[in-house]
Amino acid sequence: MTSYPNPLPRPKEELAELERVWQPPSGFGIVTAVNNTYIGIYYVGTAVLFFLLAGILALLMRVQLALPENDFLAQDAYNQVFTMHGTIMMFLFAVPAVEAMAVYLLPNMQAARDLPFPRLSAYAFWAYAVGGLFFFCSLLFGVAPDGGWFMYPPLTSYQHSPGIGADFWLLGIGFIEISAIAGAIEIAVGVLRTRAPGMTLDKLPVYCWAMLIFAGMIIFGFPAVILCTALLEIERAFHWPFFIAEKGGDPLLWQHLFWFFGHPEVYIIFLPAAGFVSMIVPTMAQVPLVGYRWVVLALIATGFVAFGVWVHHMFATGIPALSLGFFSAASMAVSVPSGVQVFAWIATIAKGRLRLSVPSLFTLGFLAIFTLGGLTGVMVAIVPFDWQVHDTFFVVAHFHYVLIGGMVFPMFAAFYYWIPTASTRPLSETLGRWFFGLMFVGFNVTFFPMHIMGLLGMPRRVWTYPAEMGWGWLNLLATAGAALMTAGVLVFLADLLRNFRPFGDRNAGNVWNAGTLEWLPNGNYASRSIPSVASRDPLWDQPHLAKDVEAGRYYLPGAPTGKRETIVTSPIDAQPQYLLQMPGPSWPTVLAAWSTAVFFLMLTVKLYWLSIIPGLAAVAFVIRWLWETDPGYYHPPVDVGGGVVLPVYATGPVSHSWWAMIVLILVIGSIFACLVFAYLFLWTVSPDVWPAATGLPLPDLVWPLASAGLLGLSSVVIALGGRALARSWHWLVRGAVLVAVPLPGLALWAELLGQWRTGLRAPDSGYAAVVYMAGALQGTLVVVVAIMALYTLARSLCGLLDARRRATYDNTMLLWHYAVGQGLVGLALVHVTPRLLG
Amino acid sequence: MARLAVTMALALAACGQPPAQATDGDAQAGRSLIARFDCGVCHTIPGIAGARGKVGPSLDGFAERAYIAGSLPNRPRVLMDWVRRAPEMAPNTAMPPFPFTDREALDVAAYLYTLR
Amino acid sequence: MSPHQQQSTLAAQGPAADAIATLWWVMLGASAVILLAVIGLITFAIAAPPERRRWLASSRIVIAGGIVFPVVILSTLLSWSLWATRGLVARPSAALRIEVVGEQWWWRVTYLDDTGRPSVVTANEIHVPVGVPVTLVLTTADVIHSFWVPSLAGKLDMIPGHENRMYLRADSRGVYRGQCAEYCGGAHALMAFYVVALPPEAFEDWLTAQARPAPEPADDFLRRGRELFLSTGCGACHTVRGTAATGVIGPDLTHVGSRTSLAAGILANNQGTLAGWIAAAQHIKPGNRMPSFNVVSGEELRAIAAWLESLR
Repeated sequence: MTSYPNPLPRPKEELAELERVWQPPSGFGIVTAVNNTYIGIYYVGTAVLFFLLAGILALLMRVQLALPENDFLAQDAYNQVFTMHGTIMMFLFAVPAVEAMAVYLLPNMQAARDLPFPRLSAYAFWAYAVGGLFFFCSLLFGVAPDGGWFMYPPLTSYQHSPGIGADFWLLGIGFIEISAIAGAIEIAVGVLRTRAPGMTLDKLPVYCWAMLIFAGMIIFGFPAVILCTALLEIERAFHWPFFIAEKGGDPLLWQHLFWFFGHPEVYIIFLPAAGFVSMIVPTMAQVPLVGYRWVVLALIATGFVAFGVWVHHMFATGIPALSLGFFSAASMAVSVPSGVQVFAWIATIAKGRLRLSVPSLFTLGFLAIFTLGGLTGVMVAIVPFDWQVHDTFFVVAHFHYVLIGGMVFPMFAAFYYWIPTASTRPLSETLGRWFFGLMFVGFNVTFFPMHIMGLLGMPRRVWTYPAEMGWGWLNLLATAGAALMTAGVLVFLADLLRNFRPFGDRNAGNVWNAGTLEWLPNGNYASRSIPSVASRDPLWDQPHLAKDVEAGRYYLPGAPTGKRETIVTSPIDAQPQYLLQMPGPSWPTVLAAWSTAVFFLMLTVKLYWLSIIPGLAAVAFVIRWLWETDPGYYHPPVDVGGGVVLPVYATGPVSHSWWAMIVLILVIGSIFACLVFAYLFLWTVSPDVWPAATGLPLPDLVWPLASAGLLGLSSVVIALGGRALARSWHWLVRGAVLVAVPLPGLALWAELLGQWRTGLRAPDSGYAAVVYMAGALQGTLVVVVAIMALYTLARSLCGLLDARRRATYDNTMLLWHYAVGQGLVGLALVHVTPRLLG
Repeated sequence: MARLAVTMALALAACGQPPAQATDGDAQAGRSLIARFDCGVCHTIPGIAGARGKVGPSLDGFAERAYIAGSLPNRPRVLMDWVRRAPEMAPNTAMPPFPFTDREALDVAAYLYTLR
Repeated sequence: MSPHQQQSTLAAQGPAADAIATLWWVMLGASAVILLAVIGLITFAIAAPPERRRWLASSRIVIAGGIVFPVVILSTLLSWSLWATRGLVARPSAALRIEVVGEQWWWRVTYLDDTGRPSVVTANEIHVPVGVPVTLVLTTADVIHSFWVPSLAGKLDMIPGHENRMYLRADSRGVYRGQCAEYCGGAHALMAFYVVALPPEAFEDWLTAQARPAPEPADDFLRRGRELFLSTGCGACHTVRGTAATGVIGPDLTHVGSRTSLAAGILANNQGTLAGWIAAAQHIKPGNRMPSFNVVSGEELRAIAAWLESLR
């Protein structure tokens, strides 16, 4: 036997101290909990709530369509209901549900004590829960959006949707996207930097790989939808014509941006589910996954190819044949990685001996349904066939096969599989079988007939249809199937009610004899000590691991600094680097999230002046929450065991916060890249509103040059401030910040003034709108970096910033330089491009 | 005056008829005629998909209705004439004449008398 | 409600729909085989004796089944589909050009003569000669719509700022139902139309008849209907060629009595439905741009409906 990092017996007070540090808040304070075991369960529970709500909406639709020319739901109600059903399922259920599962599972699977930014998880959760409920309530007041979940303009712009329904969608969803991105940053940094020592990338559980790629796809995919929702909201509020054809905008710009997000979105939902399956199948078959490397490669390939297929949602828009061919081939190619995974699971089942418990049943149901959905997916990738079935019930059937089959079934498998880690007892095998049977039969009875309806000519999104069309019996059948699924879900809820007992100190334990670390004995602090890992299925390969971990023989068996801690490891080979002290429960975080939600609600209902109050409150609460999160290096390095002595503080590229800032910059950069695309796209469709055609002069070059000069100067000053900080020349640092803060704003002012003086006004044309939009994006960034710089200044004045405790300054500087870079590229875009194109 | 005469004649003719629900028409054929002519644009008619019109009166319980258009006794013969020549019987009505044959008018009446 | 006609991708009556239906049947067959094979393989992997299923448990199977097989099958399918539908994107030199404009929630149809000028304007009904390719020029007046007649061809969107062209041929005489396929707001479900395929001579006769102005009223009641139509202000939105009604907001009603349906394919066309539509347009099709007119007496309503029906 190898020697353990820490000797036994452990000091008596060590465990008590660990428990004290990780003690969850009690009473009303329970809402301030940030620990992943709490937030994860709140988060999953809320996602399930939205699944139920959107499911009820689906039932309403099925009742309306059960008979031809039915009048259970009127036209307006039906249009709101299908819009809300799709929107809630995609944005308030699917993405949050998989993020929620990750918040709960990832730290345990990697034997970390928590995710690296627990308060960010809490913020993302509360913003989503409160904002999502506001959004849902719009339906109860009859002001829900009714433009369909992909909200195509011009239907959804101000002329054709004058009410506030579309604003609910744009602001509500825009806001929830921000929550999703916060979650993705958390997950990306969590997977890369908080793993058990020795859990190198090639020993990473497949689920963690899936979530890493998931996070990457959100980071590059969601910016497109954030930008296009912003553009449409600005078009609605201020009449900047991004999508109005008469003024040089183009409705297809929305479709490109939306689907550049929207198709990856499908894989964003599917990859985590595939990750579940790759964990469940090996356990249920009691053998390691066959073809681990191929499965990981398949996940990575999906992540890339998924960004090359968005145009297959636009085959019927009349785009040129050549691009149709390319996107058709790409859409087929994306099915190959899924095939690889399916065969890896089959091979694993064949290698072992599958135990047919409820998680296995849902997994097998997933395989059958998802395979069929994949086959119809290949069919709709064939362009002429898509011309027929696009926007019909055939497509409705297809995407429910891939989404319910590909995500909901694995999620229920995951619930039955992992609930023993969270509950004092597992869910019922008997009720689970009933649940599965009703769901599987109900699902197929509901959705299989929809293929036929579509082929028989029934378009989607119709609230009624004539009796003579011959679609009646198929619809009635589908509605009967929906009733079966409802019964199934009720059985599941009954099972939860009877058997789900979370938040206990004990859990049901490793009931499936799984091999991965989330099955270690767990408390609020995760595992008692953090094991070192030498294989992909450590619990199988090291039979005594669980006992040794619980006894405290491995790393960090206590809470040596008296705070919540976890070990930060290197991204590839998972070598311990430093001990991260994490913040605990926090009111400001929760209040910040609630204020943000109220701020967006007020914007939606056009209480612009009043919205300033929650807006400022949100900023204030965020600052209050962050104030405690750069704890400094006051604690000497800690021996976590086995001679590993870790510093308690890190700055620069080794720091987890530096990584998060880099990821954030990738997000902001992607938003900006989408704007560059929008600029060039609008030029290709409407060169007639560009300066060369309109004769409107471009601003004199002195303006952008002045702007660029100011930007460059600000970066130099901030960088010099950084040098000064290294020498602890505090007054110089503060002076530098003060000098730098106004410069980007002045630069933006110079740019906008130059444009304004030529007579260019944003509502005039698509060109004008996109030029001012570049300024608006830059303006947002300028405000953010200014607030961050002033925050840094305040910390300096309070003595919380010095030559070693400088993460705040470094991260601000990082974003600052990026903002300057984006400003310079933006200037080149709006001043050099038209001169070149002209 | 002439109109009154027509009405009277029709009413008298109706006296000799069997009770309304015993018409010889084919109610199913009548139902499909009602659907084909989209009578539901103006009338709410039980048993006809989508017949939720609010222009004219609802035909729910029509078999037990005492008067047609508030002025004509509800008898099979009157009804058959009404669906073909409503304007002649009530000049101010918004109900236009429909080109039903005798047989078709009988079928339509038969269906309407199934509505209780 | 309206006369029942085919609206099915599987009841193909033109070369485009036909090629796609063939594509479907072949893909259906292949998919059924693959689905059953996968399910069979899974069952085998679960239930077969361990020594007989051992060959399945290897990375080789993952590569063969997950990469080699799909790549071969998909390449074959892609090449074959391109070959089988090569005619669909080729552009025949269609002489007859018809402009179709999607509007919330109806279809404006304009026939162009050889010089490209409008010869006939109608709505919600497109007559085409059997066996002759026609060019449909598809645009929109407001939001995005999608033009779709499943029995004849796949759909093509109508997008503001874009002009799309569809080449269509009906191979047999008949009436084919079509419907808007892109959600276009409120009454999207109630935006249908008919394509009527006639023998070429009958088509020419129809076109000639449609080009004429509206017929003179045959009796006093119809004349009264015309007067009421004009005095009630219907002409602000509708055109009836040969009268003072020259509105362009709503459908051209010059020959409305000759059409198969009313209100974009949702109602039968007779005096009763005409009267009912005028009186309760908002109830029948909520949100459409025609108000419900219950300002005239019942008799006057009948007169207007009778006159409109007489416009054949």
